[in-house]
Amino acid sequence: MMNNRRNRKGLTRFCLIVSIVSILLSGCWDRREVNDIAIVIAMSVDKEEDGKYRLGVQIPLVGSMGSLSGGGGGTSGNKSYYVDSAVGKTLHEARAILQTRMSRILYFAHYRVVVIGSEVARSGFSKPFDIISRYPENRLTSYVVMTKGKAIDLLNAHPQLERFSGESIRELVKAVTIPVSIKDMAQMNITPGLDTFLPVFDPVNTQPKGDSKEIEGMGIAFFRGDKLIKTYKRSEAVGIRWFQNYFNPFSLVVELGDKGFISAMVLKGHAVVKPLIKHGRIHFDIHLYASVFMPETMAPLDFNDQSAFRKVERRLSEEITKKVDFLLKESRKHRVDPIGLGLVFAKRYPKLWEDKYKKRWNEELPHITFQIHSNVQVTNIGQTTNSLMKEGL
Amino acid sequence: MGNWTEQQKNPLTDRSLEVCDLIELEGVPISLELDDNTSFLERMFSDSSDFVLRKFQLKNSVHAIAIFVDGLISTNDVNDALKALMVLEDGSDQIGVIEEALLPVSQISRVKDYKGLLQAVLSGDTGIIVEGNREALTLGIRGADTRSVNEPEGEAVVRGPREGFIENIRTNTSMVRRKLKTPRLKMKSLVVGRKSNTNVVVAFLDGVANSELVDEVTHRISRIEIDAVLESGYIESLIQDNEYSPFPQVMYTERPDTVSAALLEGRVAIFVDGSPMVLLVPTTFWMMLQASEDYYERFQMATVVRWLRYLFLLISLVTPALYVAVTTYHQHMLPTSLLLSIAAAREAIPFPAIVEALIMEIAFEALREAGIRLPKTVGQAVSILGALVVGQAAVQAGIVSAPMVIVVSITGIASFTVPHFNAAISIRLLRFPLMFAASLLGIYGILVGLLIIVGHMASLRSFGIPYLSPVAPMSVGDLKDVLIRAPWADLKDRPSFLGVEQARRIGEEFLKKYQRAEEQSQNKEAKERERHDE
Repeated sequence: MMNNRRNRKGLTRFCLIVSIVSILLSGCWDRREVNDIAIVIAMSVDKEEDGKYRLGVQIPLVGSMGSLSGGGGGTSGNKSYYVDSAVGKTLHEARAILQTRMSRILYFAHYRVVVIGSEVARSGFSKPFDIISRYPENRLTSYVVMTKGKAIDLLNAHPQLERFSGESIRELVKAVTIPVSIKDMAQMNITPGLDTFLPVFDPVNTQPKGDSKEIEGMGIAFFRGDKLIKTYKRSEAVGIRWFQNYFNPFSLVVELGDKGFISAMVLKGHAVVKPLIKHGRIHFDIHLYASVFMPETMAPLDFNDQSAFRKVERRLSEEITKKVDFLLKESRKHRVDPIGLGLVFAKRYPKLWEDKYKKRWNEELPHITFQIHSNVQVTNIGQTTNSLMKEGL
Repeated sequence: MGNWTEQQKNPLTDRSLEVCDLIELEGVPISLELDDNTSFLERMFSDSSDFVLRKFQLKNSVHAIAIFVDGLISTNDVNDALKALMVLEDGSDQIGVIEEALLPVSQISRVKDYKGLLQAVLSGDTGIIVEGNREALTLGIRGADTRSVNEPEGEAVVRGPREGFIENIRTNTSMVRRKLKTPRLKMKSLVVGRKSNTNVVVAFLDGVANSELVDEVTHRISRIEIDAVLESGYIESLIQDNEYSPFPQVMYTERPDTVSAALLEGRVAIFVDGSPMVLLVPTTFWMMLQASEDYYERFQMATVVRWLRYLFLLISLVTPALYVAVTTYHQHMLPTSLLLSIAAAREAIPFPAIVEALIMEIAFEALREAGIRLPKTVGQAVSILGALVVGQAAVQAGIVSAPMVIVVSITGIASFTVPHFNAAISIRLLRFPLMFAASLLGIYGILVGLLIIVGHMASLRSFGIPYLSPVAPMSVGDLKDVLIRAPWADLKDRPSFLGVEQARRIGEEFLKKYQRAEEQSQNKEAKERERHDE
């Protein structure tokens, strides 16, 4: 009993000391209330003419987001965010300069997209992207997009549907192009036999009056190493979708003979690439598979008839083959490999790859041959077999 | 105290012995002279307007007195008893004859000393002293006003018996006896408290409950030295293992079915006169999260409801701490849009998150406390005021943010899902240190706090049983009544961690023995019949 009491006394004293010390320390040096941070939701990197980098940040003005008063909600008169930028020899210097004119701590854990300008793309993205993989606040899951002009212009666009252009870009990346995150980009960059590509977005005016700057997915840019080689328009670059892990649906318009146009929604697709050594040259046998929904035909087609399906499928196969063929030819011409043909080859012929091609794959690319077989299936033609408006067609 | 011998002064005539506690009267004999007894009692109960001393004569003119406390007895029945002595019978003045032949009272007993006599009289019996006898009679004709048996308000159920204990210990024990009609149900009687002399009953199932446990409970209760026991909480506080823990180590209930179920599991129940709360020991933490209804509803429902309680227990413990930690240290853990919403709501708030949380939590506790204590009609006004002022006005005035109000409300609701109020209170208490830890160290602080709490719980014992059993130490077979609520057909065993003496609920050994005996007797009969036929 005595012993017990002494222990209790000791415990009380210990607790007292701990609590007093913790009050005196009052440290919490990492403490950072939500109202003390400036949440960066989108970031842009540009290269200036003097070789310095311009870092642009988009920061929501949480005070004017109006959840307190309840009314409003993003009318164009009252901007809910602002964009600022600073120039520095390194991105971190630019950040530090930006910070000197901000009353809140810049907080980079929440940006959703990084936009790089064409100048950065041309001169190589490796240098500015070092900080992004190094700085612990950064997220590797944010998306990277390229723009043809200045990256900061994309941040300054003011899309109507979302509160912030950053949010808008993120949603668009997921919906209309092949999303590339920082992690994907880094992987594509360092994997031999695979080259980087990035989706391209540009600010455009609404049509036809031009009230506001919207953001539009323009196509895809191919890189060799970390340097931009060429950008392609939306319709030119669709072939690359077949070679991704997740097939992002897109629509295709083809002319059926001279009878009229048909639209096709390519819902699912995948490719099987078989590398071979043929006559001492590398050859790829590419099988494309696609299932298609037909939302619209302007050509007179009677889908009660099996042959109509076959006709459409044949025509679509041709078109898809053409798209992928274009992609591969461009690939050969510019010595870039965004599809990852080298990677496929390396898996099939690891020894040969290691000894002969790994170092000089991009030089080898113009010499490869390929054959494309495509197999399209129309799985859904909507609610009618014959057009209700058939007479007119 | 002690035995009074001839050498010592007779306390009945010794004027120095004025008022005293019952325990000091142990062994003080009842005098042969009625006048001595009368004067002693009159001295003892001077200025006691409720104490009645009725002098009368038996039919054979022997003097006698009846003593009782007005209000504790049933007047009509006492009148009948006195009538029997004064009018009807002409009998003896021997106390034994009176007890056995004259008094038509079912509960009657003989006492030798004043302690026993006054204990009985002050509890509501009627005492009768007859001239020339060394013993007195106590007649158990009680008639004090008690509350009627009502639905237990603290532990209401949708399905299940609607009776709850009241303040009368006999009524309470009878309610349990009505459910367990077996001679195995034992009820040991003890008296605790110098001034209150409260009757305490230790109930257990003989042959089921561990006998060492029963001895330990009896020992701990009889060791208590206290003035008065006004509620079972006094006993709880004095017999529990660790007074300084925030966790209750003794469960209380006001439901006879809960008590019966606990007895059947091999636990011990402690009834305290004057309290509708019956204590159950040993208590484990999981008992606090179980309601009697779990066992009456379908087992799937009961299982899901239990999971829900576990979830909400955790929520009520950590939600405010988590909110403070995430908004002051770990903003990257929130989805961006949620962070923006919180940032927008917090934009105009002048306080850091921890202060905001404290304001709201303390306001909530105050509202809850005010709501309980106030009369029902005023209580409603308080809750309206609370909802309007704290909930809405404080947010509109920009003193607290709307997300914080949501967090506090969720916490409050979650803490009310714990079926036993004292466990809910300890959880509510513990979330304050967790909030401080979160504001100092973030989620790391919460984890450290939780570890300390769990470590403390694992070190607790309730009458030798680890507080977290059967989870820690793990006893797999018993988990089917903790992780889930298995159907009754699968709950054949009593909890093994209680060290019960009869492990099976349905005594299969007994059944086998019984069947064997029956078979044997049938065989014998058959043989006899054969012999008879021959």
